[in-house]
Amino acid sequence: MVRGLLCVALLLVTAAAHAETWPGKEWARGEPLAGPAVEALEAYAFPARDDATRQGVRTDALLVIRDGQIVYERYAAPTSASTPHLTWSISKSLMATVLGVAYGQNRFKLSDPAARFYPPMKQHPKVTLADLLHWASGLDWQEDYEYAPLKSSVVAMLYTRGHGDMAEFAAETDAAVAPGKAFRYSSGDSNILSAALRGMLGHKAYMSYPWDALFEPLGIRSATWETDADETFVASSYAYLTARDLARVGLLMAREGRWGDEQLLPKDWVAFNRKPFDGYKAGQDEAVPGGQWWLNQGTPRPWPDAPADTFAALGHWGQALFVLPDAHLVIVRYGDDRDGTYGHNELLKRVLAAVQP
Amino acid sequence: MIRRHPILSLFAVLLLVLLGWVWHERVNLQAFPDIIAAYTAKEYCSCRYVANNPAQYCRGYVKQYVPTSAFRDNPERSEVTASGLGRTHSARWLGERQGCRLLP
Repeated sequence: MVRGLLCVALLLVTAAAHAETWPGKEWARGEPLAGPAVEALEAYAFPARDDATRQGVRTDALLVIRDGQIVYERYAAPTSASTPHLTWSISKSLMATVLGVAYGQNRFKLSDPAARFYPPMKQHPKVTLADLLHWASGLDWQEDYEYAPLKSSVVAMLYTRGHGDMAEFAAETDAAVAPGKAFRYSSGDSNILSAALRGMLGHKAYMSYPWDALFEPLGIRSATWETDADETFVASSYAYLTARDLARVGLLMAREGRWGDEQLLPKDWVAFNRKPFDGYKAGQDEAVPGGQWWLNQGTPRPWPDAPADTFAALGHWGQALFVLPDAHLVIVRYGDDRDGTYGHNELLKRVLAAVQP
Repeated sequence: MIRRHPILSLFAVLLLVLLGWVWHERVNLQAFPDIIAAYTAKEYCSCRYVANNPAQYCRGYVKQYVPTSAFRDNPERSEVTASGLGRTHSARWLGERQGCRLLP
C-alpha cells in the first residue's frame, strides 16, 4: 500500500517535471521552427549587412525559447552563441531583477526613501525606491543620446562629467517636478537604484551580489557588469550577457520569478514590475513603463501584433528581451541598429507567425 | 547708433546672446570635446575585451561622425587610448566581472 502510494507520488512528480523544462548547464532543444514563416522572419531580421553605411535592420542575435527549450537561434558574425553582447538599457531591468532578490530578503520596502540607503539622495528626501523604479524621481534629467549630445545627461554621466561616480552625478541633478507623479525616462534613476543596493548590502557583498543572487542560481556564466570608479554597477547601461544567458532571465520572469523549485523573486515583485505606472501619459515613450520593465499595455498597444501580456527589457540600438508568458515564449534579440528601420512589433509579429503549429 | 549702423547693432546683439548662451552652457561646452575620445576608448575596450570581438570589427563599431585623430590599443595591458577634438582618454579592462572602465 505504502509502496503503491510512493509509486503514484513519484509518477506525479515525474509528470510535473516533464510538463516544465528548465535549462541545466545548457538549454534543451525543442523541434526547430521551419517553413515559409521562418523565411519571412529571417528576411526581416537578417538582411544582407553593409558595415560601411550601417543602414537597415542589423540583428546580431535572435533566440526563441518555447516552453523552456530553444526552437530558433541565429547569429550574425562576429556575434556568436558565446558572445557576451552589450545589453545597454536591458541592464536596468536586470538590476530590477537583482533588486527583486534583495526585496525577497526583506532588505527594503518599495516605499523606503532612496536617501535611507544612499546618503547623496538626502538632497531629494522624498524620492522612494518605487519612484526610481518607475523612472519618476522628478529629477531634471535629459536622456537624449545622439541628437542632443551637448545637453545630454546620459552622455555626460557615461563619458564626461559623471563617469567617475554616476549615481552621485545623477543625485546632484535638480528636481523638476514632485517625485512619483510623472514619468521621465532616466538612466540616472537606474544608477541611483544601483547605489541604493550597495547601501543595503555593504560594499563587499554588493560587489558579488548580482552573481550570488541572480546569475549563479540561474546558471548564467557569461555575465560582465561594468562599474564606475566608485565601484557602482552601471545599472543604466553596462551589463553583458550571451543571448542564451539573457534568455534565462526571461524564463525566470515568464514563470513569475520561479526557477525550478525555488521562488527566487517574490510573486508580488514580478507583479510590481508588470504593473503600468499610473503617472505615465500615452505616447511618452515607445512602451508603457512598469517597474524598470516595459509593458505592452494601453490603447493602442505599443506592439499591437503581440499579446497584451507581453513585457520586455529594451536597450539602445535594438537590444530586446521579450517575455510572452501565456504563449510560453521568451525572445532575445540583439542588434546594432543605427537608424530607425527596425521595429519591435514587426519582429514580434514574424516570430509569432513562425511559432504557429 | 542703431539707426546709423543697423547691421553692426544687430551683430552686437547676436554676439551678446551668443556670449550669454556660452556662459549659460559653459560646463557642458567645456566637457563636450571629451565625448568622442572617451566614448571611443571605452566602447572599443568593451567591444574588444568584454565581448571578444575582432579588432577590425570594433574599430568600425565605435566609428562616429566626429573623427578621432589618434588611436592605440595595447593588448598587453588591455588598455585603449583614443584622441579627438584635442582631448585624449583611455579605458582599461579590469577583469571578467568588471569589464572595462574609463580611466580618470
